[in-house]
Amino acid sequence: MLVDLLTRRYPGMRLWLTQRLTALVMAGYIVLLLLLLLVRQPDGYAGWHAFVSPWWLRLATLLVFVCLVMHAWLGIRDVMRDYVRNIVLRGYLQLLMEIMLAIYLIWLAVILWNI
Amino acid sequence: MANLIAKQSVGNRPKNLDLTTIRLPINALVSIFHRLSGVVLFLMLPVMLWALQTSVRDEAHYEYLVGFTEIWWVKLLLVALFVPFFHHFYAGLRHLGQDVHWMTTLQKARFSGRVVLWLDAISVLLFGIAIW
Repeated sequence: MLVDLLTRRYPGMRLWLTQRLTALVMAGYIVLLLLLLLVRQPDGYAGWHAFVSPWWLRLATLLVFVCLVMHAWLGIRDVMRDYVRNIVLRGYLQLLMEIMLAIYLIWLAVILWNI
Repeated sequence: MANLIAKQSVGNRPKNLDLTTIRLPINALVSIFHRLSGVVLFLMLPVMLWALQTSVRDEAHYEYLVGFTEIWWVKLLLVALFVPFFHHFYAGLRHLGQDVHWMTTLQKARFSGRVVLWLDAISVLLFGIAIW
């Protein structure tokens, strides 16, 4: 039933669920990162650099950002559907938003790679 | 006939678009601010990425960023930016709870809405104290 609900008949349900699951992933990441910060208490550049260096934290950060991109894409799209009534303008704005999110994702990957 | 009555009642309906007297119910307030804060957070993404990049580049850049955040109005701005962050976080959790039918009666939703606003205020205050 769940598969049916999420794939075949109601594709919108998949987007709805994506919005919620990505929210949970980000909330979990934020709480864990905050706890890690409180435990480690990184001090100065050396401390901060050592804190963000582990490969698993960088990988987790990138994966969480992928969630953020999906979450933001859905959220901004929904807001624009409500307030930007001109379909042509909305199409361009959505394209702009997608380009921005793509650039941010690449940007973050470059930052994390160079740590 | 029914149509005529409907038309008349639409015309005679009291209208109030005075923004200074309109008061949103708390659930509407929490909800619209959740949207607004989401948009603000999206617009702030490049700032966050820039800050992360600057903080890990090298010691000089790190010190520059730390020095930048020592300025009083930058601190104030930082606190202001964490308002939408905290609100989106707490209100989002509230919406997730409502999605699984937790506290969905009007009375309970009003209560959880108030809780969200209080959590916003407390978190922002604690954050402000922490960075000052």
